[in-house]
Amino acid sequence: MSDRYSFSLTTFSPSGKLLQIEHALNAVGQGVTSVGIKASNGAVIATEKKSTSPLVDTSTLEKISMICSSVGLVYSGMGPDARVLVNKGRKSAQAYRRVYNEDPPVSILVKEIASVMQEFTQSGGVRPFGVSLLVAGFDDKGPSLYQVDPSGSYFAWKATAIGKNMINSKTFLEKRFNEEMELEDAVHTAILTLKEGFEGQMTEDTIEIGIIGGGSPPTTATGEPLPFAFKKLTPSEIKDYLSNIA
Amino acid sequence: MSIMEYNGAAVVAMVGKNCVAIASDTRLGQQAMTIDTNFQKVFPVTDKTMIGMAGLATDVLTLRDRFRYKVNMYKLKEERTIEPQTFAHMVSAALYEKRFGPYFIEPVIAGMDKRNQPFICSMDTIGCINFAKDFVVAGNAGGGLYGMCESLWEPDLEPEDLFETISQALLNAVDRNALSGWGAVVHIITPDQVITRQLKSRMLDWADPTVKDKAVRYTRL
Amino acid sequence: MECLMGLVGKDFVITVTDTMAIRSITVLKHDEDKTRELNPHTLISYCGEAGDTTNFAEYVQKNVKLYGIRNNIELTPGATANFVRRELADSLRTRSAYQVNLLVSGYDHKKGPCLYWIDHLSALAQVPFAAHGYCAYYCISLMDRHYHPDISLDEAMGLIRQCLEELHRRFIINMPRFVAKVVDKDGIRVIDL
Repeated sequence: MSDRYSFSLTTFSPSGKLLQIEHALNAVGQGVTSVGIKASNGAVIATEKKSTSPLVDTSTLEKISMICSSVGLVYSGMGPDARVLVNKGRKSAQAYRRVYNEDPPVSILVKEIASVMQEFTQSGGVRPFGVSLLVAGFDDKGPSLYQVDPSGSYFAWKATAIGKNMINSKTFLEKRFNEEMELEDAVHTAILTLKEGFEGQMTEDTIEIGIIGGGSPPTTATGEPLPFAFKKLTPSEIKDYLSNIA
Repeated sequence: MSIMEYNGAAVVAMVGKNCVAIASDTRLGQQAMTIDTNFQKVFPVTDKTMIGMAGLATDVLTLRDRFRYKVNMYKLKEERTIEPQTFAHMVSAALYEKRFGPYFIEPVIAGMDKRNQPFICSMDTIGCINFAKDFVVAGNAGGGLYGMCESLWEPDLEPEDLFETISQALLNAVDRNALSGWGAVVHIITPDQVITRQLKSRMLDWADPTVKDKAVRYTRL
Repeated sequence: MECLMGLVGKDFVITVTDTMAIRSITVLKHDEDKTRELNPHTLISYCGEAGDTTNFAEYVQKNVKLYGIRNNIELTPGATANFVRRELADSLRTRSAYQVNLLVSGYDHKKGPCLYWIDHLSALAQVPFAAHGYCAYYCISLMDRHYHPDISLDEAMGLIRQCLEELHRRFIINMPRFVAKVVDKDGIRVIDL
């Protein structure tokens, strides 16, 4: 019965729902878990790297993407859909740089990406994105962490998780998170959160971590402060973290 | 006849110690004929940033409106006020957008940034930025202004001294230029206020009762 | 070859226009009205390229009237002048720019009388007195000499007559007839020269 109102994305069901968006959220719920934590001096995002076969060369899989030097994101849900958003995000960051000669603030970039996702819930002949995003960045206002959903709504978090193991991970984070936590601690906590309900062996090849901030900001040759840059941890850096935990 | 010299203008900006100054003449002409002696060419952008434009008057007005729109949208979208450096790049991008049919103005931007460091720059008609640590000039009296600034400006001038320096530079430059002058306006931007002063230059003050006495009027000139 | 003049007095604005429609070396008409009423307290006078002038003037006239009907409140002279400027400025960078010079005169119930000068490039300036065309070269200097901000209507008419006399004496073109219009708190009216 309810299927009668899911033929077109732009049609509300009598109960006032857009079913396609809820279906998209279900797709995210089946996706691999991602976690994000905002520390006092930075932010971290992390996710599982899952391959369908041991024969896949996992070093080429990339689920965490840099959007511009001040912002990175990770997705849970459908990889190809996320790639479209990453491309659009990168393009809009460069368009911003083209005009202002500086990186966009995180909130602006999040709004931009979220409005793309919203457009795909109201246009004809398209479907919503089957992904939720965690966006981590650092700007004049300090570190920030956002979640963006298929509907185009977005929220700022201190710490959160999306994907299959979202509920358990969030409960875990609620217990572990505190406001004074620094980036190093946050990375550890992110790994521990992923470890809850992790299937199989957690190694430097089966998780991905992206960080921004921590320590003192980089400077130019003349000592002018530069903004923090987003970076992905290399397998060997991740290995160090893992060995500290075990 | 160059379109850049049709209406006449002189704009200058200078760096001081914890302050910047921007000044312009107030003449609007049609070639040699003076139409208005109270035509503004310098406009506020934020509490601590101003833009002056020399060139074709119609484009001064059009761009004033465009930049006001852009800055208001920036403020609403980003929930912060724009920095002078950022605004300069915004202006540059807006001008270059019309690369093959440009606005005929040369902008001058002056402001104090968020760390209260002075910032000035000038641009050509298609948005090529000239960052300067001392002074920038634009308009018909540009050559004369360079000469005046070169000889009067010195580093670390306090607001009142900077006012005197920029005023003398502007007045003496426009006095040797037929297309600019007829009054001037000077803005001194400090971290916590903008001081704006009108200069009469060689004009007479209508409010001055002696001006109505015609004999006095001419002997004074 | 055309002549527009305007002058702001103590509580009125006066505009004077010539009445000739010229093409090449021929005078086609001696009673052309080169003004349009935009609303009860705003008047524009215009000169320039033959077809462009009336077309543009009537275009803005209709739009300003429409605004009054739609919103049940009239645009102020200042708003009108800026609207006219924007329309002209937008046309300036098209292939078919209007070649029109204008004076917008109006009476603002809060700010009093005002006069705006707009040229064919759509530069806009609020001025105490203004003129367009060749006559500007003769009239501006006269007005500059004798104008003062609290000038009375009689005094202003005297100054206008001086200007016209100068035109008759020195300007090569014969302009036999002018129309003067006054805008004040009571609206727009024609006044004998």
